[in-house]
Amino acid sequence: MNDRSLWWRIAWRNLWRNSRRTIITAAALAFGFLSCVVMIGIWYGVIDEMIETGTNLVSGQVQIHAKDYLPERSMHATLGGQGGIEVGTYLDHLETEPYVVAAAPRVYAGGLVSSGEHTVAGIFLGVEPEREARVTRLLASLVEGRLPVPGRRELIMGDEMARTLDVRPGSEIVVVAPAADGSMGNDLYRLTGVLHSGLPTLDGAYVVLPILDLRQLLAMEEGRVHEVALRVSDPWVAPAVAMGAGLMPQGPNGPPIQVRAWTDFRAELAEYARLAFAVNGIVVAIVFGMAIFGVANTLLMSTFERRREFALVRALGTQPRSVAWTVVYESLILGVIALAAGTLITAPVMYWLHEYPIDLSRFTEGFTMAGSAMRPVLRAEYTLDGPVVSAIGLLITSLLAALYPAYRVSRIPPADVLAD
Amino acid sequence: MSEDAVASQNAVPAVRTVNLWKIYPQDPEPVEAIRGVNLQIDSGEFAAMAGPSGSGKTTLLNLLGGLTRPSRGEVWIGGVEIGALADKKLARIRLEEIGFVFQAFNLLPVLSAMENAEFPLLLQGESVSVRRAKVRALFDEIGLQGLESRRPGKLSGGQQQRVAVARAVIADPALVLADEPTANLDSATGAALLDVMERLNQTRGTTFLFSTHDPRVMERARRLIRLVDGAIESDQRR
Ligand SMILES: Nc1ncnc2c1ncn2[C@@H]1O[C@H](COP(=O)(O)OP(=O)(O)OP(=O)(O)O)[C@@H](O)[C@H]1O
Ligand SMILES: [Mg+2]
Repeated sequence: MNDRSLWWRIAWRNLWRNSRRTIITAAALAFGFLSCVVMIGIWYGVIDEMIETGTNLVSGQVQIHAKDYLPERSMHATLGGQGGIEVGTYLDHLETEPYVVAAAPRVYAGGLVSSGEHTVAGIFLGVEPEREARVTRLLASLVEGRLPVPGRRELIMGDEMARTLDVRPGSEIVVVAPAADGSMGNDLYRLTGVLHSGLPTLDGAYVVLPILDLRQLLAMEEGRVHEVALRVSDPWVAPAVAMGAGLMPQGPNGPPIQVRAWTDFRAELAEYARLAFAVNGIVVAIVFGMAIFGVANTLLMSTFERRREFALVRALGTQPRSVAWTVVYESLILGVIALAAGTLITAPVMYWLHEYPIDLSRFTEGFTMAGSAMRPVLRAEYTLDGPVVSAIGLLITSLLAALYPAYRVSRIPPADVLAD
Repeated sequence: MSEDAVASQNAVPAVRTVNLWKIYPQDPEPVEAIRGVNLQIDSGEFAAMAGPSGSGKTTLLNLLGGLTRPSRGEVWIGGVEIGALADKKLARIRLEEIGFVFQAFNLLPVLSAMENAEFPLLLQGESVSVRRAKVRALFDEIGLQGLESRRPGKLSGGQQQRVAVARAVIADPALVLADEPTANLDSATGAALLDVMERLNQTRGTTFLFSTHDPRVMERARRLIRLVDGAIESDQRR
């Protein structure tokens, strides 16, 4: 029997008999679509911000260490030096790998920092400023003074630490750290600038200086580094990049290394992001869960008004199934109209919220979330899942909303043609 | 044996009932709307059913057309007892064997005259070209030419009833049941509708059974069945 197109046609025409009701119902669904897409977009914006600030401030998105560096972080477990890796060449090689945007070498040490009466424990981080700036925003968070120049015994530190030590750019700083040769390295440095990242550990405990100067302080050999941090083009490709063989120095037979993506060393951040993805499903379920009852109610009303017509077509020999389907078709067409309208209103709103993020600085100066320092803005991120999940939610809504009315319609007795 | 009895022995029954009852469960007492009716309508008949209001005309037509189920007794259409059929099969019988014309609300407002008239053919899976050709020919025959694309709201009462008659006969059913088809029409229009039905009865051999209150309509029938209190009081052929 090829009467399906008839029922689609009847469904379409019936929708426009009460066009106001149809438009209001479609508008409700379209608005639900808009809400879902925008909420998901903002969620993704928050997650992206979280990952971005969580990985780009200091850690990088992929980290490479010597095989035995972790978990003790022994200062002797280095890449480079007599291990056979020429770090400069290695870094250049890493930057040719797919998805790798930049690579930066680091040297770490623990020690004491003092000025006058005050002494605090600190983490010394030796960086190559030019490379570091391409991998993290660490140096960009300089709020006062200037960056240290290599070879001149200059350093910068977090603002919290500077306050504790009661120092400002220009102050002299004494640094003490256990050196590689077993001696105690100590030297007089000058503070050239102060960092503010919003991350308490960084602002309170980090001392950043050129890698050359730190090696000298630690009596470390030239060419040795503890860590290479990578920036990749999209945080979510980091695990794949970390698994890739391309990161091995001098091929598979080279010295052993250990590679970790941020999803490993910031597992709680990845966990949080995954949780947030699950929230999308809940958002869509709640928004459209409410809409189902509204749409079902509208369909019940409109089919009840037409029950005599359903009885008539049943009397003429239509199968109960066919009249039920026409209600489903009606609801699906309504869903598609709502989806089209929803897309039309959602696109500019998303564009606006992406280009002109909501500024929350009136309410907060920024906050930390899952250990990431967040900037006080709400930016909607463009994603495919937002619209796709919401569109599926909308169409499922129109399908589910039609089920009960369709069932009711299929039960209308054919003898009711003349009933009033 | 009377002449009538001979005639109906040789004829093919379009519909036949055996001791048919319809009892509506009602407070305080159940309503016995049809009480033990034995009736046979033969192929090609043009029969009218009359009776006072509440005598059971609509109920009997609904039983004959498989719109309601008997409380007791049998309804036979083309060798099938339809009283006990499942809903789906019953719908199939209505589609293939029965044409209906109701007193009012006959047409789907969202379909054109043509789409309303071709409805049974569409359900039967007939192709567009066949459907259109059949409807055009029929519309020409009953004076509806040129109205094919009008929606029911833009047709007069008489035109709407003609479209309903066209739909009832279009798929050549065994039987057309019409419940007071002229009740909402003025007498001239009603008479014209009856002309149409009579001509279709003659040209296509379509079997008609219609109910009416109107003596002038009764006169036109070649058989008149009188119903009183749910039972057949008289049954005359002319
Ligand atoms: N669905 C129903 N439920 C209960 N009783 C009903 C129902 N339909 C009809 N009846 C009763 O059955 C009896 C016969 O009704 P029916 O409508 O068949 O009469 P009718 O001859 O068609 O009358 P009218 O000339 O007024 O159309 C009436 O007493 C009526 O009240
Ligand atoms: Mg009646």
